[in-house]
Amino acid sequence: MSHSCATKPLQSNMTTVKNVQNQSGDSMTSNSTRRRRWAMPVAAVAAFTVLSGCAKDAPQDTWQPAGENARKIHDLQVWPFGIAGIVLLIVCAAVGYSVFKFRDRGQAIPKQSHGKPSLEIALTVLPALILIGIGIPTVSTLFDLAKTSDTECVVNVTGQQWWWEYDYPAQAGCGGIEKPIVTSGQLVIPAGQHVLLRISSRDVIHSYWIPKLNGKRDAVPGRVQTLRMQADQPGIYSGQCTEFCGLSHAYMRMEAVSLDAAGFKTWVDNQLKPYTAPTADSKYSEGEALFITNCTRCHQVNGILGTDGKEVIARPDKYVYPGVAPNLTNLMTRTTFAGAAFDLQTEACKTRLWNTPPAQFTAAYLEGVTPQCLDIVQLREWLRNPTTKKPMYADPTKLATTGGMYRGMPNLGLTEDQIDKLVAYLTERK
Amino acid sequence: MFTTGSKLFIGASVIALATAIIHGTTQDNSTVGIIGLVSATLALVFLAGINLWVRDSNVAADDAAVAATAAASTATPPGSMWPLIAGLGAALLPVGLVVGRVITWMSIIVLIVATVEWMVQSWSERASGDAAYNTMVRRRIMHPLELPVLGAIGLGIIIFSFSRIMLYLPAVAGAIAFSAVSSIVLLFGALFAAKRNVGRSLVATVCAIGAVGIIGAGVTSAIAGSREIVKHEVPSFEENTCGIETDGESDDHASRAVAAKSNLAATIVLSGGKLHAEVIGVIGAQDTVTLARSKYSYIRFENLDAEPRRLVADFGTETVDVNGTAVEESFTTCTQAVGQGGAQFLVVRPVLPSNASETPFTLNVPGVEGGVVTVIVP
Repeated sequence: MSHSCATKPLQSNMTTVKNVQNQSGDSMTSNSTRRRRWAMPVAAVAAFTVLSGCAKDAPQDTWQPAGENARKIHDLQVWPFGIAGIVLLIVCAAVGYSVFKFRDRGQAIPKQSHGKPSLEIALTVLPALILIGIGIPTVSTLFDLAKTSDTECVVNVTGQQWWWEYDYPAQAGCGGIEKPIVTSGQLVIPAGQHVLLRISSRDVIHSYWIPKLNGKRDAVPGRVQTLRMQADQPGIYSGQCTEFCGLSHAYMRMEAVSLDAAGFKTWVDNQLKPYTAPTADSKYSEGEALFITNCTRCHQVNGILGTDGKEVIARPDKYVYPGVAPNLTNLMTRTTFAGAAFDLQTEACKTRLWNTPPAQFTAAYLEGVTPQCLDIVQLREWLRNPTTKKPMYADPTKLATTGGMYRGMPNLGLTEDQIDKLVAYLTERK
Repeated sequence: MFTTGSKLFIGASVIALATAIIHGTTQDNSTVGIIGLVSATLALVFLAGINLWVRDSNVAADDAAVAATAAASTATPPGSMWPLIAGLGAALLPVGLVVGRVITWMSIIVLIVATVEWMVQSWSERASGDAAYNTMVRRRIMHPLELPVLGAIGLGIIIFSFSRIMLYLPAVAGAIAFSAVSSIVLLFGALFAAKRNVGRSLVATVCAIGAVGIIGAGVTSAIAGSREIVKHEVPSFEENTCGIETDGESDDHASRAVAAKSNLAATIVLSGGKLHAEVIGVIGAQDTVTLARSKYSYIRFENLDAEPRRLVADFGTETVDVNGTAVEESFTTCTQAVGQGGAQFLVVRPVLPSNASETPFTLNVPGVEGGVVTVIVP
């Protein structure tokens, strides 16, 4: 009995040792597996983060300024990023060192002390100095960006759900504009000139941002905010409303198009040319009649005459909540529609235009949307039922909250034949 | 037969019942009151029954152990101020009913507070035979309520006193006083924070001196009264060119509102009989203003001339069909008259483009020959 009593603990201990070894081995395997399991996602996130900096198709990249103001912002942000990066590395290294060095190994809790004035003062003074160092050039740049005394061209920009309207007042600037121009979706400016945007809103707060040309500016109802634009070279620059403004905020896009001086003059002259009625008894004239019947309640085409021989004046204030709809007088001179959310050009033509070198860009843009380049599918889909392409509050049965006013374009219930004729009419608006 | 506690509740039950009967027979629409009083009667009868049942929780006189440790066996607790305060509240209540609502409400609050405090104090003093434990129990219950309320009252008195001081002082002196007081508070705060072993009594003394100083100055300022605050009067306009003059026609304090001075669509200035526009982002005086269609545009009118003038926004006319009859609708709005150096605010929303009208859209001042600024609505 005593023998068995003497051997049992030994066996038991050996078993325990073996178990411990097995457990230890299992634990190491488990740790290794766990590490491998984490390694892949971490590596993927790191690779994605790093490689995203190499993206070529990034038209809203703030790190590629294309104008004086954007460059000032870029120059301001570069070196604070460097400093912030160094601070980040120091902090991460200090945290990592502390976590590793003082990890819990069952040791006694070190002696606790309260505060260290010299360290606290250093940690207050150093960030204060860094912030002062950043603050001085920041304030200086803010004043630079707000400067309007050297304005060469003025454009009024008005946001509404969910598109931007541009009106060019009659002025000596911009190379001379005799009569006001109204357009939408694409802001056209003369390259190299200091263009002052006077930004406002008709309904809610929006925010105007063409990253390659300048920072953001909120469009606030009842307020006029200024933002200076200047593009170094002819080209096209993408932007996005950056203040959440409702259902189709994501579709409220904009593009700034910069043309050389002569090209801009041509663009202005084209916008101001008198209305040319379509040839009688053609699908174009039938499209015009359809346009007057279905579209001119909200959309203005300058110079279009009604059956009474008088110019048809749209009254969007009676039908749509912001009180306006895009002016379609020269629709085909711009390459987007519906708040620059959709292209009037096919993908191939769009790619060609966006990649056109600055020297040839003006001529390429002034061609407008040619019949070969028209993305007729997009336009037809829009006319067939706009709300399927862009979310809008345009259901006639749900207008109680807007006093019977639409937010966006409703489904007009057009037939395919009517769509054909309207498309024909619209393709001539250039 | 009846214990002391049960006598109290029986008496209260009788009073509540009698009140219910009197209320029900003398008052119309007394349903709610009767329900309340009968409910009170029933509750008091229930409490009286419990007291009778447990014999007021009195221990037997022959239970030596309990008698030695029971709260009732300990020394009589010290006197309380709460009966006195409750009596004050009760006395003030009829005074308030005669004199005014403020005193009534104050007396009710005093009465409620004193009653609650008195009840809790009485209960806690009999909670056990240990006086220290009783005090701790009372604090644990009442301090979470007392301290925030007292703190809020104290801060309220100080803030109100400070506001009286600010109203009494001239505007510039007020700004200086505000800076000085806040600097002193910051200084003492920093000193106390830096010197950790500073005595509690010293901190309390400094705070008390500061509070008494502010309250004293506040009382003095309140007695002395507020400084004269300038009011911006706007003269009434005699030349009624834009409908009937009404007070609510536009903002008569436009010159004082920050919102009426910043980022406007235009500022229209009448000076030397000439009208010109100042437009944000456009350098120099303008004779034309471009306003977006269907957008609310904020315009400020400044009159630098001697005569009171108003600005009229004339955005054309439109012929509309009213029950088969063509009626000409005018899109005209205007400010109230503005005296010399005054300003008015006008919000306009032109719904027609200017090319829809044969006559130009204008911002004009009636009675002034050069008082026209052309408005373009694209």
